[in-house]
Amino acid sequence: AHVTKLSIVPPPLKSDWSPPAPSGKAISPLVERKLLPAGPAYLAHVKRAVHKLTFEEHDK
Amino acid sequence: MAPKTQPNGSAEAPIEVSSTPTVVGINFGNSYASIAVLTKEGSADCIANEDGERQIACAVSFHGEETYIGNQAKHQLVKNSHNTITGFRNLLGKKWVPLVEYLLSFAGRVFSGRGKFSEVPQNEISVSAPVIQHPEIADEPAYKVQVLQAAPSPLPTTATNTPAASHAATPRSEPISVTRYLTPLEVTTIFLRSLIQSAEDFLGKKVTGAVISVPNWFSDAQKAALEKAANDAGVIVLQLLEEAGAVAVTTTTDVWQAQGVAQDRTQLIVDLGSSGLELALLSIRHGLAYTIDTLSDHTVGGDYIDNKLIKFFAKEFTKKTKTPLTVAPATETQDKRAEAKLRLAVEHTKRTLSASPGAATCSVESLKEGLDYTGTINRLRFDMEVRTIYDHVFTKVQELVARAGLDLFDVDEIVYVGGSASLPGLDETLAGGFSETVVTPFTAGTVVGGGVGDPTTILARGCALQASLLANLPETTEEEREVKSAFASGSNWTKASATGKTIGMLFPEDGAEGALGGQWVPALWKETALPARRTLRFDVDLGDGEGEKKVGFEVWEAKEGIKVETVKAGPPPLENADGEVDEDEEEEEEEEEVKERTVEKESFLAALSLVAKEGRKEKGRWKTTVEVQFLLGEDKSLSVTAWEIGKSGKGETVTLTVSA
Ligand SMILES: Nc1ncnc2c1ncn2[C@@H]1O[C@H](COP(=O)(O)OP(=O)(O)OP(=O)(O)O)[C@@H](O)[C@H]1O
Ligand SMILES: [Mg+2]
Repeated sequence: AHVTKLSIVPPPLKSDWSPPAPSGKAISPLVERKLLPAGPAYLAHVKRAVHKLTFEEHDK
Repeated sequence: MAPKTQPNGSAEAPIEVSSTPTVVGINFGNSYASIAVLTKEGSADCIANEDGERQIACAVSFHGEETYIGNQAKHQLVKNSHNTITGFRNLLGKKWVPLVEYLLSFAGRVFSGRGKFSEVPQNEISVSAPVIQHPEIADEPAYKVQVLQAAPSPLPTTATNTPAASHAATPRSEPISVTRYLTPLEVTTIFLRSLIQSAEDFLGKKVTGAVISVPNWFSDAQKAALEKAANDAGVIVLQLLEEAGAVAVTTTTDVWQAQGVAQDRTQLIVDLGSSGLELALLSIRHGLAYTIDTLSDHTVGGDYIDNKLIKFFAKEFTKKTKTPLTVAPATETQDKRAEAKLRLAVEHTKRTLSASPGAATCSVESLKEGLDYTGTINRLRFDMEVRTIYDHVFTKVQELVARAGLDLFDVDEIVYVGGSASLPGLDETLAGGFSETVVTPFTAGTVVGGGVGDPTTILARGCALQASLLANLPETTEEEREVKSAFASGSNWTKASATGKTIGMLFPEDGAEGALGGQWVPALWKETALPARRTLRFDVDLGDGEGEKKVGFEVWEAKEGIKVETVKAGPPPLENADGEVDEDEEEEEEEEEVKERTVEKESFLAALSLVAKEGRKEKGRWKTTVEVQFLLGEDKSLSVTAWEIGKSGKGETVTLTVSA
């Protein structure tokens, strides 16, 4: 899997922080788009879908 | 020119060409075409045809028994215009009747067949072969040309063969003049065959497949006509690729990324060709791209730049020689011919201007009344002459970005495509309105000397890379054939859902400034197609205390915006000679708009906490390296997994999930 290295260094955790309970909300509504049928990333996208592979399975 | 800066640019032949398969990419514009081949290293390069041209004019000219193709044909526009065909690409797949309506709107003028029915008054442009209704094929437009055909060999003398009655009448060598009707499709076939021939001469091998670029507004009928024309020319079309797709391919390669653009970005494509401007906003997400919005405008382009430039030189000519010359438009025959000559000559002038800011010349032999002309113009002066065109492009860019609901500051990268976008003055005009961090090939220094950013080679190179990708796809199983079909025009596989909001991590911090309350790290940008995976690696500051240390963050959807502040940013008051501040100057303090990207928390999803076991002390502070993976499924479910990367490798994982 491609790993993106960030130069950002998050600060020390807020002293009184403990993880809040999940909100139970889903992510916002999606938008419908039309991909450009071009390039290796599109090929990988289609391959995963056609061969019903997860990202991890496709990595191999 | 350092070769290492141009591994994907135009090649100086001979270049080392890859062995298999023999495919090419063709940028088929309405005015110019270019061909790219693959190099051994797997990049793509534009090649020159036998006349040494990389930008090959889309022109076919018949002169006697000769057929000229490319820039040589374009030169025939001066003396042999009625047998010279240009602008045929845009007539592909058009029926005669709608064409007629178009022709009528130019009643009394000669139709030159240029442009996407461009608004250019046709009489301003060099006249070419007339388009008429085909005398035999119903509803087909055709170009009517006069050619010389070799006379048939003398016929044997037989009693039934009438011509044979007179033996001496037709000398064997005398060709006869015949009228030929050529459909746009037939002209395209002739032209494409010559392009492929050039590629085969260069490669020394037969071309087995090609990807050809098409404008995004090409209809199915136009695509079908182009594909047929290519097939008739003996070319196997692997794909007709939308121009934006070709750009996406070129600009997601490693060499391109090396210019310093992010893997996830909003890209603006500015294509300024001959007859028009094509703008597109793309979302590029780790190589996966789609168009957010597009805009076409056919009231600007290289032809209009030519108009300005030839008027400028005509005026100079008149000043120098006291010979009147009126061009663009010209009315008198002599002036028309002079205009055609100037149009050809300024091609060179414009290319010189793009390459260097110094003086560029325009030379025409016997411009008018036997007088030769040589004039010069430098970039500063040229930019002044075409200022309105640059400004117009900028206005259209603003219009597109606003229509897409974005701000100029949301654009991360500008890519220039098309010959006229090679002019540095255009980038200077545009870039000023964008964020300081916007990347353009001009700021990256990759335009000149055939670098990766050269606007005239981007499409052909993208097509060649795409051709190679397609030619190497296996086709043995049902599934493999299905994958291949995803590249066919109108495939359902292009349909995708994308995120509407940016999802990221918020690291809560003591005494944080602002409403966020901590450090924001975006992970999945909005406009990312599903499914998506992002893996981020970074260091986290664990503080200077001893005892158990934790890494924790909240996953939020964010609202991004642009803050505009007006600040007084006038030039420092000018001092006059006596060292006193000039009062007038002091009062004219200028107000300046300062823009800044902003982020607000919008929707809290879930949080994650991880005990740091691999902390290391650096300069008295504890630090650890973590990786966080965001996995957004096709079904809209999100899982976020975090782990430490320590001396012993990957640590324990902690996962949170947000269901659909
Ligand atoms: N280096 C250069 N500097 C300035 N102008 C150039 C340069 N090279 C080519 N041009 C101009 O660019 C135009 C051709 O651009 P391009 O090849 O992109 O057109 P096209 O795609 O065939 O046409 P269109 O898209 O308008 O139908 C011509 O006007 C040509 O003079
Ligand atoms: Mg074009």
